[in-house]
Amino acid sequence: MRYALKFAARYLFSSKFQTSLLIGGVGIGVLVFCFMSALINGLTSFQIEQTTGSIAHVTVEPREQAPRVVSGAEPTVKQVVTVLRANVQREQIRSWPEVMTTIENHPLVREAVPIVSGNGLIARGQAIAPVAITGVRPEQLSEIAAIAPAIVDGEAELDLDGVLIGDRLARNLSIAVGQNLVIRSDRGRERSVRVRGIFALGVESLDERVAYMNFKSAKALLDLDNGISRIEVKLDDLDMAPDVANEFKGLTGLKVTSWTEKNKRLFDAIQGQNSTGSLIKFFSIVTIIIGVASALLLTSMRRRPEIGIMRSMGASKAFITSVFVLQGIMVGLLGAVVGAGLGYGFCNLLAAVAKRADGSVIFPIDPTQGAYLTGILLATGASAVAAILPARRAAQIDPVEAISQ
Amino acid sequence: MTAASLADRAPLLDVEDIRKNYLSGDTIQPVLKGLSFQVFKGEFVALQGPSGSGKSTLLSILGTLLRPTSGRFHMLGHDLTAASEDQLTAFRNRYIGFVFQYHHLLPDFTALENVMFPSATTAGRETPEMIQRAANLLARVGLAERINYRATKLSGGQKQRVAIARALMNNPPLVLADEPTGNLDRESADGVMRLLAEINAERGTSFFISTHDADIAKRCHRRITVIDGRLSGIEQGTPLESIAAE
Repeated sequence: MRYALKFAARYLFSSKFQTSLLIGGVGIGVLVFCFMSALINGLTSFQIEQTTGSIAHVTVEPREQAPRVVSGAEPTVKQVVTVLRANVQREQIRSWPEVMTTIENHPLVREAVPIVSGNGLIARGQAIAPVAITGVRPEQLSEIAAIAPAIVDGEAELDLDGVLIGDRLARNLSIAVGQNLVIRSDRGRERSVRVRGIFALGVESLDERVAYMNFKSAKALLDLDNGISRIEVKLDDLDMAPDVANEFKGLTGLKVTSWTEKNKRLFDAIQGQNSTGSLIKFFSIVTIIIGVASALLLTSMRRRPEIGIMRSMGASKAFITSVFVLQGIMVGLLGAVVGAGLGYGFCNLLAAVAKRADGSVIFPIDPTQGAYLTGILLATGASAVAAILPARRAAQIDPVEAISQ
Repeated sequence: MTAASLADRAPLLDVEDIRKNYLSGDTIQPVLKGLSFQVFKGEFVALQGPSGSGKSTLLSILGTLLRPTSGRFHMLGHDLTAASEDQLTAFRNRYIGFVFQYHHLLPDFTALENVMFPSATTAGRETPEMIQRAANLLARVGLAERINYRATKLSGGQKQRVAIARALMNNPPLVLADEPTGNLDRESADGVMRLLAEINAERGTSFFISTHDADIAKRCHRRITVIDGRLSGIEQGTPLESIAAE
């Protein structure tokens, strides 16, 4: 093998221009591979971060209950009242402190936030707007959605009489920080609150419809004295969300959904995006195989007389095959290392310079996700595979014909 | 070396009714039409014949590069017509040296590396012993000062001397030479032939040389003439020692 390696190296370095072109070709293929990996993976991370940054990774909710019906041909008044009460009762998690303990003790859970929520109306003078009331503990306000950093006016303060509303809702109702307004829940209860802050999350549905209140105030307003609406959970590893959701389902018996279930369209889009990226990467590897195979085929043709001489001197077919396969591996390895290095530099350059005036990125490229080692291993392996056909052809050369050329 | 002394010895090469046909379109083209002869150890044999008479085909068969259509030939007691390709490759490497008309050195390698090739290719590496032996052989052919020259930097005569050293690297009992002086000027050709004769005398290596040059053929132990694929005659030549002494 050592002697074959010497021949492979000598052949490569004796045709510097051709070898440089070949290494350059492999390098470009690997550069494309690494660039696409960094771009697609970066884009995926960006999209997931954008999505999961403002939503829960796992949501624990009450079990959905089918509406009860009055049984029997002639029900009593008591039976009818019982069924009616059950049907109008808000779905809630009653034993939520125990459930919270179970969730918080899970090793993958970063934060668990109990939330009460319901529909209501905000009224200021003659102006009325529907809102989704969300009651959260003041210290956990920004654990699920980053509300505090999104405050554009006032402060992220949730005392018992405070409320935080979105900038679109504030504009629609002409409300400013410090003003009072009345919130009325769908349970008929109402409370006068003061606007402590106005946020702008950049999500229209949130900025126009959501009002954040103190957890205790919201419980009273929404008639949820004993229970809560849901528990929103953030995990250390969001990829584990489906598994953790299944685990919680078994532990609590409640309805538990992961962010991937709730955002199936996004998840499908990301998978489609990843498939497209994989296809482009696949073609870059195919290009490497074709390039290396055709170049080595030409080399084997050019070196026919030499191969004939070597065979006539007693060189085995295995030796000739090794010389060409090793050339493929060397070209692949050198080209891949060069390509991965250039790819890393290019991705870093793009990440540094491709930014808008406000500092936001144009390409959400992540140079740390360039799959450089995978690119190097794949390109080297592909080059070795590409060299097999030319190597076998070279080994089959008839020495008598080759020498007579 | 007389006919009587040859008859006392076991043949190095024993060729029996060798035939070779080529297929040309739908037509079978016979090139060798039943050749039988023997070559003995230490012999210096010339193979003569006009172009197209089948000399190169015969050399290729004797060098195990080509299989005959029929007939048998043995070397050192081995039936080479029945051997597998891998066996023939190993046999060729160990027992047969080649010298071609166009030297056919590996252009990207030095004289020393070219000479070492037959040994190194089977060992899978170059050993200090191989380097020493190749350097000695190059010194023997008068190229001690050129061992690290690339093949492309050598003159025609020097290249042929490197090719001779390479043919001797594994110390084979037989060297097949196809027009070894055909591409050289008179002076270089004489030098190469003198060298072959000296090596034959020193080492007892047998040479089987295809040549058009009647002067060279005359000075071999025997001259085998092939015309139209048939053996035309075997003649005695000038004793080998007289060539080496010139």
